[in-house]
Amino acid sequence: MSFGSTAERTIDMANIATFEKGTSQLLMGNEAIARGALEAGIGFAAAYPGTPSSEIIGSLAEVAKDAGIYVEWSINEKVALEAAAAAAFAGVRSIVAMKQNGLSVALDYLMGLALTGTRAGIVLVTCDDPGALSSTEEEDSRIVAKWACLPLLEPGTFQEEKDMTRWAYDLSEELKSVVLIRGVTRTSHARGDVEVGERVPPLRQAKFEPSNPLEFTSLPAPFKHLAANQKIDKAREIFESSPFNWYQGPDKPDLLIVTCGSGWFYSLEAVTALELEKSVGILKLGTTWPLPEKLVREHLSLAEEVLVVEEIDPFLEGNLKELVGEDPSAVGPIKFYGKRSGHIPVAGEINPDIVTAALARILDIEHRPVQPQYSQKALALTSQFTHGRMVGFCAGCPHRATFWSIKNAIKLDGRNGFVSGDIGCYSMAVGPAGYWQIKTMQSMGSGTGMACGFGKLAEFGFTQPVIAVCGDSTFYHATIPAIISGIYNRANFTLLVLDNSATAMTGFQPHPGTGRSAMGEPAPTVDIPTLCRALGVRVEETDPFDLTGTTDKLLDLMRDDGGVRVMVVKRECALVRARREKPAYKMRIDVERCLGESCGCSRLCSRVFQCPALMWDAEKGVAAIDSVLCAGCGVCADICPSGAIIRETA
Amino acid sequence: MSPPEIKGNLQLRADVIDRGLCALCGACAGICPYLVAHRGRIVALDDCAVERGRCYAFCPRVATDLDAASNAVFGAPFDTAPIGRVAQVLMTRAARENVRSSAQYGGTVSAIVAFAIERGFIDSAVLTKSDASVLPAGVLVRDPDDVLSHARSNYVAAPTLAAFNREARREEVRRVGVVGTPCQALALAKMRASPLENRNNVEKLSLVVGLFCTWALDLDSFTRFLAEKTPLDRISKFDIPPPPANVFQAFSDSTSVSIPLDEVRRFIRPSCNVCLDMTAEFADVSVGAAEGVEGWNTLIVRSERGRELVDAARAAGVIETDALPDENLNHLKGASLGKRRRALANIRQTTGSDDDLLYLELCAETRSRLLAE
Ligand SMILES: Cc1cc2nc3c(=O)[nH]c(=O)nc-3n(C[C@H](O)[C@H](O)[C@H](O)COP(=O)(O)OP(=O)(O)OC[C@H]3O[C@@H](n4cnc5c(N)ncnc54)[C@H](O)[C@@H]3O)c2cc1C
Repeated sequence: MSFGSTAERTIDMANIATFEKGTSQLLMGNEAIARGALEAGIGFAAAYPGTPSSEIIGSLAEVAKDAGIYVEWSINEKVALEAAAAAAFAGVRSIVAMKQNGLSVALDYLMGLALTGTRAGIVLVTCDDPGALSSTEEEDSRIVAKWACLPLLEPGTFQEEKDMTRWAYDLSEELKSVVLIRGVTRTSHARGDVEVGERVPPLRQAKFEPSNPLEFTSLPAPFKHLAANQKIDKAREIFESSPFNWYQGPDKPDLLIVTCGSGWFYSLEAVTALELEKSVGILKLGTTWPLPEKLVREHLSLAEEVLVVEEIDPFLEGNLKELVGEDPSAVGPIKFYGKRSGHIPVAGEINPDIVTAALARILDIEHRPVQPQYSQKALALTSQFTHGRMVGFCAGCPHRATFWSIKNAIKLDGRNGFVSGDIGCYSMAVGPAGYWQIKTMQSMGSGTGMACGFGKLAEFGFTQPVIAVCGDSTFYHATIPAIISGIYNRANFTLLVLDNSATAMTGFQPHPGTGRSAMGEPAPTVDIPTLCRALGVRVEETDPFDLTGTTDKLLDLMRDDGGVRVMVVKRECALVRARREKPAYKMRIDVERCLGESCGCSRLCSRVFQCPALMWDAEKGVAAIDSVLCAGCGVCADICPSGAIIRETA
Repeated sequence: MSPPEIKGNLQLRADVIDRGLCALCGACAGICPYLVAHRGRIVALDDCAVERGRCYAFCPRVATDLDAASNAVFGAPFDTAPIGRVAQVLMTRAARENVRSSAQYGGTVSAIVAFAIERGFIDSAVLTKSDASVLPAGVLVRDPDDVLSHARSNYVAAPTLAAFNREARREEVRRVGVVGTPCQALALAKMRASPLENRNNVEKLSLVVGLFCTWALDLDSFTRFLAEKTPLDRISKFDIPPPPANVFQAFSDSTSVSIPLDEVRRFIRPSCNVCLDMTAEFADVSVGAAEGVEGWNTLIVRSERGRELVDAARAAGVIETDALPDENLNHLKGASLGKRRRALANIRQTTGSDDDLLYLELCAETRSRLLAE
C-alpha cells in the first residue's frame, strides 16, 4: 500500500545489526521493531511497502547481509505473509510488516493462519495511520486481533517497540500463534533512545516436517477454532504479569485513564500539563487483546470515572465495557468517557490538546485551549517565507505529463471518458496536480477492477470510454487478476500502466520490474508489456514526455472498443533519476516570445500545466523557471504555444 | 450603435458551442492552446482566463457587426441585396478538361486558385482535404499542381480556418488565399475587422474564394449513417444534383448510392439553420453550381481583388466564361433570399424576440431592411 511519502533515510545511518549490546541508540520506532526482531533471531522478513510501515523491512533489508537474514519485498501483503508463514512453519522465525490497508489484503490468509497456528515465532506488525496522513483510509487494524483470535501488543515507548518485538517471538512460540503488533505513524516515525540487547543469529536448521497430516492446515476448522480461543485464554493469563502493562498515579484516583500506544504519551502530557498527577491515574496497557482481566478489573475498581484514550476506533473502550458488563459488581459503578461519549474524537489523529480538553471537561477544570485562530496566525506568519503550493507531482514527474495527455485525450474524444484510479503517487490526480482526472480511488488494483464493471455497462445505455490507471508496483500487486477478469468477461476499457520504475510513494523500494532485489542483488525482471501481450490483448507503449504521441495513442485506444487494451506509459521517476544523473535539459524562457497573460497563452504553463518549477513573474508579466526546482525534463517546451520555453541540452 | 462586445473563451463556449451554434469554421482554433478542432467539434482543452479573446472576436456566430466586416473587405458597408455585394456574375469553368473532371462542377475554384499561385497573386492557399473516413481538414498548398488533389466538395463541415491560423504563422507564407464556405468568409472578414491586437497574420490574407453553401453536415452522426450505406474509404465524390432530384449522392470507383435528401438533412449542423448567407457574401469571389448547366459554375465577382484575378485568369485562358442565364440568376437570388428568410425566422423563433437576433448586431437601417424582406 503506498500513499504518502516516507521519511528519507539518511545515508550514513547507524547499522542496526552491529550495535553493541547494552548501548543506547537513537532509533526510529520502525528501526526499534526491526532491531527487536534481530535480537529474537529472525531469519526471514517480508513485506510490501506501505507508509508508515516501510522502514521496518527496509532497515532489515539494508543489514540483511551483516545479520545473515533473508529479506524480500513481496508482490503484495498477502504473499509477504504467506512467505513469512512458510518460513515459520519450517522453523525459521519471521517478521512481516504492513500498513493498515495492507492488512486487509493479507486478511484472507491471516484468518487461515490464525486457525493453523505456527511452529517458529512469527510476528505481524501493522502500522496504522490515524488522520490518514499518508493513506487513503484510516481504519483501525486492532479489530482483526479479536476477530481472528490473535494476541495483540501495542508499544507505547521506543524501548517497548524493541522489547515487545523481541518478546513477541517467545509468546508466538509458546502459544503457537502469530502475534500482532500495532503501531501508529507517530510511534513508527518518531525517534527515541533505545537500549539494545544482544542480537542472535538465526538458526540454520530449516525443515518442513508436520507432526500430523493436518498440522499446517486450518482443518478441522471447528477444532482449530476452539484451539485458537484456548490460545487467547492462555495469552490472557500470560498478560496478567506482563511488564508492558503498568499503572502510575495515586492509590485512589478521582479519574482513571486507561490507554495504550500513542494514547499513553498524550495522556501523560495532558495530566502533567493540568498538574493532575495527584488525582488522575493512568493505566497503560501494552497487551490490548486479550485484556489481562484481573489486572484491569483491579484498576477499574479504583475509580468511578474512567477515560479511555486510544487512536482511531473505541477498541479498548469497547473491550473494557464488555469486561465490566460480564460482572459489574466486581468493579462497582463506572462512568466511561471516551469516543462514545464524544470526549475523544472518533476520526482523525489525537494529540495532547485533545486529551487535555477531555480531562478539563470531565473534571470541570478551567483550561485555556489552543486558540482556534492559532493555526491561522501561524499560517500568516510562515507564509511570508514560503510559496503557496498545492500537493502535487514533483518537477519532472512523468505523471504530470501523462495526466496532461489523458486530460486532452478525454476532452478530444468527447464522450465523457473518465479515469478509474488506483493507489500510488498518481493518486494525486484526484486533485489539481493531475487536472482532477482520477474519479474513483479505493484500493490497490481497484482502478482496473472498477473498469471491469464500468466496461460491462453498455447494455444499460452506458457510452463513456473507461480508462483505468495503475502504477508499475500496483500492476504487480493487485492489477493482474483484474486484467484477466476483464479479458475473460469481455469488459471494455483501456488500462494505462504508469510505469515509473519505482515504488515511488513509499520510498523507491525495488519491485519485480526493477531488476533489483530488496537486498540489492540483481533480480529477474517481469516485463509488463510482454506479460500483457501474452494475455492476448492489444498493448501499446509510449513515453509520457511525448505528449502528442501519448494523446494520439490513447485516443486511438479509446475508440477501439475491443475489450481490454493496455498502454504502458513508461518513464523513470524523476527523483530516482535525479539521484543518478544530471538533468537532461537546461530550461530558460525567451521573454521576447512569452505571451504571458495575453490572448494565445493566458499563462498556460504556470496557470494550467502547473509544474512547480514554472513560475510567473508578475512584475515583468512573463513566465520564469525556478532553476533550483527544475528537473530539466523539457516537457513544458512542448506545451508552450509560442515556443518561448527553450530547451537547451545541459 | 456601439461595437459588439468581445468576450473570452468561456463565454464563447457558453454562447456558441454549448448552444449548438458552432459552425465549425475553425476560426477560433489553432490560435491558442485552449481551443482545438477535433473530429467535427471544437474542443476546449482547458479554461482560458483572457477576458477579450480572438476566439470570440472572430466567431461568425457571436455578435457581429456586418457593416464593419463588410468595410474590412470591400471598404463599404454591408449590402443587403439578395446575393450581397456584386461586381459581376458569370458562368465559368476551367478551360482544361482534366481540371473539370477532377473537380466538383466546372473546376473554377481549383483553376483560379492554381492560377493565383502561379501568377503570384498568392504564394499559397488553404484548401480542404478529406481523409479516407470523410474527415475534412484544412491544408496549406504551395504548389499549383497540388491544388487539384484537394478539389471537390465534402459536405461535412470543415474547420478549415484552423489551418489558416496555424499556417499563416510560417515565415515563408506571405500572401495566402483561402477557399471556404460563407461562415468561413465571414469569420475571415471579422479577423480583418478585429480591433484586438493582430496576432493572426491576417495581413497575409490576400484572397478569399467563397463557396455557395446551403448547409453543411455533422461529421460524427453523418459518417456513422453513411458508413452503413457504403464503405467510406472508397468514396471519391459527393453531389447534390439540382431539383427535382432531391437526392444526395456518394460516388465510389464503380458504384454510387443515392440517399433521399430528407434523410441527409437530419445531419445538418444546427448552426446552418441560423446562417443568412448562401453565397459567401464576404468573399472576393464566390463560386457555386450553375444549376442545370452541367460542368459549369456560377461565379460572383465581389471585390476589386477578385475582379483582377478573374480578368487575368480569363485573359490567360485558364477559365472560360459565359453569361449566366437570367433564369439562373433569378433562381439564385430566390434561393439566397429563401435561406436568409428561413434563418431569420429560425433566429427569431429561438430568441422569441425581434430585438435579439442571436449573433447579428445590425444598424437600424440594415436591420429594418433585412427584417422587412
Ligand atoms: C458544405 C458545402 C455546401 C455547398 N452547398 C452548395 C449549394 O448549396 N449550392 C451550390 O451551388 N454550391 C454549393 N457548394 C459548392 C459546390 O459544391 C462547389 O464547391 C462549388 O460549386 C465549386 O465548384 P468547383 O467545381 O469550382 O470546385 P472544385 O474546383 O472542386 O473546388 C472545390 C473546393 O472546395 C473545397 N472544399 C471542399 N469541401 C469543403 C468544405 N467542407 N469546406 C470548405 N471548403 C471545402 C476544396 O478544397 C476545393 O478547393 C457547397 C460546397 C460545400 C463544401
